[in-house]
Amino acid sequence: MSVIPEPGYLEAAVDALALSTDRSDRRTCALPARWARRLQAAAVGLAFPAVLLLLWELSARYGWLPAQILPDPRLVVETIQEFVASGELLDDTRISLMRVAQGFLFGGLAGLLLGVAMGLWPRFQAYVDPLFLAVSQVPTLGWMPLLILLVGIDEELKVIIIAWSAFIPVTLNTYRGIRAVPARYREVGQVLTFGPWSTLTKIVLPAALPTIFVGIREGLANSWQTLVAAELFASSEGLGYLMAWGRQLFQLDLVIMAMIAVGAIGLLFNWGLGSIERRLRRWQVAS
Amino acid sequence: MTTTSRQRRSFSRRASSNPARRSFIALAALALGVAIAAPAVADSTVIRLGYPGVGIDNRPFGYGDNISVAHIGHFIEDEFKNDPDVKIEWTFFRGAGPAVNEAIANGQLDFGAGEGDLPSIVARSKGLKTKIVLAADTRDPIYLAVKPDSGIKSIDDLKGRKVAQFRGTNLQIATDRVLEAHGLTERDIKFINLDTGNTLAALASGDIDGAFGGPEFLDLDRRGIVKVVYSTKSDDPAFGRQASLLVTEDFESRHPDLTARVVKAVVKAAQWSTDESNREAVFQGWTKSGIPVETFRADFAGVKLTDRLSPIIDEFFIARYRAQADRAKAYKLLRNDVDVDSWFEPKYLNQALAELKLEDYWPRYDANGKKVATGTVEQTQAATQ
Repeated sequence: MSVIPEPGYLEAAVDALALSTDRSDRRTCALPARWARRLQAAAVGLAFPAVLLLLWELSARYGWLPAQILPDPRLVVETIQEFVASGELLDDTRISLMRVAQGFLFGGLAGLLLGVAMGLWPRFQAYVDPLFLAVSQVPTLGWMPLLILLVGIDEELKVIIIAWSAFIPVTLNTYRGIRAVPARYREVGQVLTFGPWSTLTKIVLPAALPTIFVGIREGLANSWQTLVAAELFASSEGLGYLMAWGRQLFQLDLVIMAMIAVGAIGLLFNWGLGSIERRLRRWQVAS
Repeated sequence: MTTTSRQRRSFSRRASSNPARRSFIALAALALGVAIAAPAVADSTVIRLGYPGVGIDNRPFGYGDNISVAHIGHFIEDEFKNDPDVKIEWTFFRGAGPAVNEAIANGQLDFGAGEGDLPSIVARSKGLKTKIVLAADTRDPIYLAVKPDSGIKSIDDLKGRKVAQFRGTNLQIATDRVLEAHGLTERDIKFINLDTGNTLAALASGDIDGAFGGPEFLDLDRRGIVKVVYSTKSDDPAFGRQASLLVTEDFESRHPDLTARVVKAVVKAAQWSTDESNREAVFQGWTKSGIPVETFRADFAGVKLTDRLSPIIDEFFIARYRAQADRAKAYKLLRNDVDVDSWFEPKYLNQALAELKLEDYWPRYDANGKKVATGTVEQTQAATQ
């Protein structure tokens, strides 16, 4: 009688899906097959956005949502063209990127250093860890009120907030990555009579690299998201500001344009870091 | 598995037998049908008014216009006190005009009560369907408050300084016009977007060099925290801000009678609040917003109440909207043209003026601000204290 399908039905569907992907993964990587697979992946990746775009278009056409709230996609395209032509989109993007670059550099480096120190010296870690864990539980934006009182509402505030949001995941993952390096790897170093520096750079860091990179990727993604939130408040330029401006002047096409820019850059970051990581891990493939 | 089948069994028993339960369901269905049909019969209506602003610490009270007088004095509620089917619902938006726009677009409001000129013009350029039925606030001055040690003494000193502005509100267009008159544009100044509450905090902490805003600064000035160095009061009155009572076209077409009565109630509030003998009472009412009475005394010093709170849509008022729309386009605050003239719907106002015999109560001005008709309100006198 019941309309809702049995849970088993769903599980079976999921299994079927998983099976089909498994099978395609197991295929041998002959060149044409690999290209076909990439094409397939791209098609799968684009299917969902395409459906959303279609819904958006239909909504605009049939007025499902007021045009003031969800503008016509064509208007958004026009706005993008206009802002690219005038250089405003590039200016704001550049300013946002500079803020992220500064914040991420400071936060990431500090996180790497602290993570390495915690990973190498368990005693140091024992002292620092409880406080670090407690402090890292406070969401980044939760520091804003306190920081505003300490450093004001200028550039420093934004850079510190961004640095902080990168610092936490980089520290955590660096420390975990180093702690997880198997003891027998270090023993190899001892056999080869490596000094501490060589042990660190030739054995510990390369082995911990995948985990460290997880932290870096997460840190960069965090920085980028935090930037937008920081720029929504008390700024006069940048992509986050563009969103606030668009909202206040009731130009939701501007807001959507800024969202597209933020999303695209985030995707680029992720992709760029992924390829850097693959490059750095070549030794693993070679071995 | 066992739980499911047991549940299913018990459900089927519930659905089939038990006549008492079945009649209950029938009754419920009937009640639902009545509830759906009810609005057509009994006409129970909520009138939703959105006010673009809050008081200090988000107090749900406005100030500086005839709408806030109507709210504080319950003029609209009193108008409907014999209609239990009509409910009045006020919402105060910290996000000011832009937030009211969003709520109107979402269908959450029937009236933009005291919506400022720029946000409503921006919304109209985006196709939001509203009518201006009454003037809520005219010639509202803006002030420039600066950090006492900033060295800023006039508008001309603002070049390159860090100044707060509540963007998208009618403050922005008023500020831009003042800048233009002094040969500056927004680009000459480092503007930071802050709402009223955060602006006051940033001024007090010295994070910004200055800020454009309303009478909120006058109290900080009195306490020596900031210095108010400029006001449009001593400059061209055409630089002031305007605000209106807006009704959505949807509500107006469904409830012309209710629209007329809301307008009439606000006209009564305007009548009371432009009478100079009520000057102190008006200011005391506005202190519910958390702003001290001295601020309003200073804000209105040398100004007749009627100059600010008259509900009349005269040529001067319409010309202000035309000018603001024109300047907003020039400053690229909006990208489409706005038809201002077809926006005004004064018939409810005129009806109320006739019913209340107030046709000659308020003076009228031409587009250039020259008085073309006097009003009897000008003969009212402030109570001697």
